[in-house]
Amino acid sequence: MSVQFTDVVKRYGTTTAVSGVSFTVETGTLVTLLGPSGCGKTTTLRMIAGLELPSAGRIEIAGRDVTHLSATQRDVSMVFQSYALFPHMSVLENVAYGLRRSSVGREEATQRAREGLATVGLTGFDARQPSELSGGQQQRVAVARALVLKPSVLLFDEPLSNLDARLRRQMREEIRELQRRLGLTVVYVTHDQQEAMAVSDRIIVMNAGRIEQQGSPRELYEKPATPFLARFMGESNPARGTVRRIDAARVRVRLGDTGIEVADSAAPDGEATVAVRPEAIAVETAPGPAGALAGTIAKASYLGTHMEYSIDTAAGTLFATCPRVERPLPPGTAVALVLAPRGVIVVRD
Amino acid sequence: MSGPPVIARAALAWSAVALLAAVLLPWYGLEEGLGSGGWIAGLWSTEEAGSGLAQVMAHGRWWLTPVLAALVLCFLVSIAPMTPGRRGTALVLASGAGLVLFAAQAFGVGLRGWNGAWLTALFGELDGRQFGIGAGGTLVLIALLSLLSIGLALRGAFGGDAFVAGAMTAVTASILLFTAWPILHILAQAFQDQDGALKPLLMVERLAESKIWSLRCLAGGGACGVAWNTLFLALCCGIGSTALGLSFALIVTRTSFRFKRMLRVLTVLPIITPPFVIGLALILVFGRSGLVNQLLDWGLGVPPTRWIYGFPGVLLAQLFAFTPVAFLVLIGVVEGVSPTLEEASQTLRADRWATFTTVSLPLMVPGLANAFLVGFIESIADFGNPIVLGGSFGVLSTEIYFAVVGAQLDYGRAAALALLLLAMALGAFFLQRRLVGGRSYATISGKGDAGLPTPLPAAARRIAKWVALPWAAFTLLLYGFTFVGGLVKVWGRDYTPTFAHYVKAFAIERTPDGVIWSGAAWNSFWTTVKLAAIAAPLTAALGLLAAWLLVRQRFAGRGALEFVTMLSFAVPGTVIGVAYVFAFNVPPLEITGSALIIVLCFVFRNMAVGLRAGMAAMSQIDRSLDEASATLRGRAPQTLFYVVLPLLRPAVVGALVYGFVRAVTTVSAVVFLVTAEYDLATTYIILRVINGDYGLAIAYSCALIVLMLAAILLIQFLVGDRRLGRRALQTQGGRA
Repeated sequence: MSVQFTDVVKRYGTTTAVSGVSFTVETGTLVTLLGPSGCGKTTTLRMIAGLELPSAGRIEIAGRDVTHLSATQRDVSMVFQSYALFPHMSVLENVAYGLRRSSVGREEATQRAREGLATVGLTGFDARQPSELSGGQQQRVAVARALVLKPSVLLFDEPLSNLDARLRRQMREEIRELQRRLGLTVVYVTHDQQEAMAVSDRIIVMNAGRIEQQGSPRELYEKPATPFLARFMGESNPARGTVRRIDAARVRVRLGDTGIEVADSAAPDGEATVAVRPEAIAVETAPGPAGALAGTIAKASYLGTHMEYSIDTAAGTLFATCPRVERPLPPGTAVALVLAPRGVIVVRD
Repeated sequence: MSGPPVIARAALAWSAVALLAAVLLPWYGLEEGLGSGGWIAGLWSTEEAGSGLAQVMAHGRWWLTPVLAALVLCFLVSIAPMTPGRRGTALVLASGAGLVLFAAQAFGVGLRGWNGAWLTALFGELDGRQFGIGAGGTLVLIALLSLLSIGLALRGAFGGDAFVAGAMTAVTASILLFTAWPILHILAQAFQDQDGALKPLLMVERLAESKIWSLRCLAGGGACGVAWNTLFLALCCGIGSTALGLSFALIVTRTSFRFKRMLRVLTVLPIITPPFVIGLALILVFGRSGLVNQLLDWGLGVPPTRWIYGFPGVLLAQLFAFTPVAFLVLIGVVEGVSPTLEEASQTLRADRWATFTTVSLPLMVPGLANAFLVGFIESIADFGNPIVLGGSFGVLSTEIYFAVVGAQLDYGRAAALALLLLAMALGAFFLQRRLVGGRSYATISGKGDAGLPTPLPAAARRIAKWVALPWAAFTLLLYGFTFVGGLVKVWGRDYTPTFAHYVKAFAIERTPDGVIWSGAAWNSFWTTVKLAAIAAPLTAALGLLAAWLLVRQRFAGRGALEFVTMLSFAVPGTVIGVAYVFAFNVPPLEITGSALIIVLCFVFRNMAVGLRAGMAAMSQIDRSLDEASATLRGRAPQTLFYVVLPLLRPAVVGALVYGFVRAVTTVSAVVFLVTAEYDLATTYIILRVINGDYGLAIAYSCALIVLMLAAILLIQFLVGDRRLGRRALQTQGGRA
């Protein structure tokens, strides 16, 4: 593995930014640290980089204990949120900077910097100043500058937060494509769960300085372990329901006047928080099939690709998305809701 | 990569250097210097040229033994197999012990045996005496300091970086030795009577005098105390110079004013003038037999007035002298305000005036506070203008001067007044830190900044122009008169044009034996140029290095270091000069009368401005640029050299210019330090003025101004501009 954290703690005076975090990053994978702002994800990333040294615990990179090494001494490079391009150097000088500092000769450094720029599709931009580039181009220069050092681990600190939405999608695809093609080990920080799901092999969700849950994007989305995760990973409706076990692998969940069988091997009997994904709610005109949840449309919005409804039900107000846009239901319509078992999740309290 | 193995090798090298220096170089200073080579023969046998080892073995200086033992210990620690952490601890202990022992013997043994009765009681009468430290001792001291920083780095202090640790140790040690020590030395005098006995009550007595604290001028009769005079003058000077400096900075950076370049040169003119020249010029214009009074008398029959002698004259001269310093500080600050923020403000319904007052100005507040602090402290430390123009209006610095050189010859009183002066400077310093200390506005970010600097709102532009342009015109006028003053026979009496003054000062004769520099001024002129040229780069390097440590490194004692560097700046030159003579005319550091003491005085007196300018500029550079360099394998010195310094060019220019110019123009600090061999231009001119030879003094001053102008242009040319790649300011008047 490329990065290993063991019980790492970071304190600033009396406040604890990261409290006892352990995880590993396998070589050649892209792992995302995801969480709301102030959760400790950036501090964790900076501890990998060596820009912050941990107060306690152990950090290994590529099998070497680097806990007390400074950033310069670690085989890691980083793409900053602000890009941190040196404003007094040309694009080529920026990309060659790390190579020159690693005592690579001028000729070779220039050569490799050109290759790096080619890798990110910026051939011919050598002589430009950073301020003469668009946001996306600056981003690519920052990536090229980090890449040319061939680090064991490449770090990204919210790299897309300064870009517009269309560019953000394009850049995240480029980063993912680059990571796969070159087999890079990447640790990526973001607060955007969609971005995290789109680029990651694995996601580590952090909250209040601790790891909330880690796993593949699918695991986190379909089996969120805590209410925080159910809320944070995609949209979900928190509802109160009762759980009754059927057998080892299934439970029956009652929500209002409807009941549904859900695959679950852990939840105990009794009251529980149930997360319902909006896309798992099928909206039918009343009366609908037997056993459906009755409700009334409160709000309706047309979004082109789908409809969004807020529906008042006995189990609370539910938010649902509906792909049928040709026949929108106006507010006040009585409806029947059919829940798909995949989108109903019993959450541990 | 500078991993522990490299650092450990450096430790070995320094230990070896220390041992070699203790064995192969004369420990004490030699009269004739090292150049002649005559010392080699006497390295073992003579007491004067003996090495450290010889002094112990052959000449009975047993008190050097512990120092040499510490050196051997350092060497053993460097070669023994150990983990880096343990080696670091051992090195810190060994070199630390060496430094303590070094200092103990240096200060414990004096000119006549032990310094202090208790030492004699403890060790018995001492036969030997202390000499000034020489090449061997100095090198051992440097090596011990290096070993200490290497040890600290090995223990993981300063991010494990030996360069940072070394820079830290070097800056701290030199400031302690050349700023803190002389000042403490002279302040101790405040508590002693004429015979050196300790009398704390005497200090209270000296400070309670009515001459210092009287408020009679408010009640209408008599003069106010010098303390109030000093404080009021400094407040006016600080506010005035900041406002004027800001006006100039705004006009130069934010308007399309056509004669900007000229304005830039013009504002620099007063800096490159020895302080008393402005006083002299003001007298030529406003003095009793000055032009204004002569015209008024001739035209309107108004009898000559003496208003220029006193508070108005001194304030005017100080504003002329210190506005350019504020301008130099503020120009970097104004340039550093991110245009994007101003554009953001304009898009938020703020017109230009609102943008200026609610965004641009608040962003400049730390810089403005810095400029005010500089003006305030310069004013209370100023000696030249109050002595020339003050008349009966006394301030603390002149009061100290008279206490030292006057009939009173009361060193204790001088020291007590110096303490008061220091308290004022430190008060301003703390107030400034309290109000704006923790704030930093990172406005040069790692993102390319594509905004255009917003032109000034019309009202602000008008105000700036109405303030700055008359000031500029007045400056021009003063210099014109000064220039003319050097070309007439006797100002006020005989206005016949003549070159005689210049010929007397700068004559060069061609004889069959070659060129003879027969002018009276050449000797002091070349000494000044040489010493200033040596001091300027050292001043800038030390100031900027200290600024970098203070802004970018986190370490215990940061505040204390900043505090001590400010000390040298706050203490008036008069006090510094006397303090240097007192502290350095006896062993262990016996350098009075040498060129070295003058250079050191220049460096440690002027580094504070480089420090302030560097700190102001550096806190505007986004820290992520340093971090990016660190993750790209840039070690601390490389980051400093390739990333920070190029972005600091305005501050570098400022520090170099200031270091050179202040060295050339300073009077008060060096008046006690110069000798016949090392005479300086300013002290020479002052002597001419005292002898009533105004013509030669003015001619020489003009030559100095030309010299400094040339030096500034040379520095500007060599260091160049900062390329930020921002888009150029577009103005209606064409290219900005």
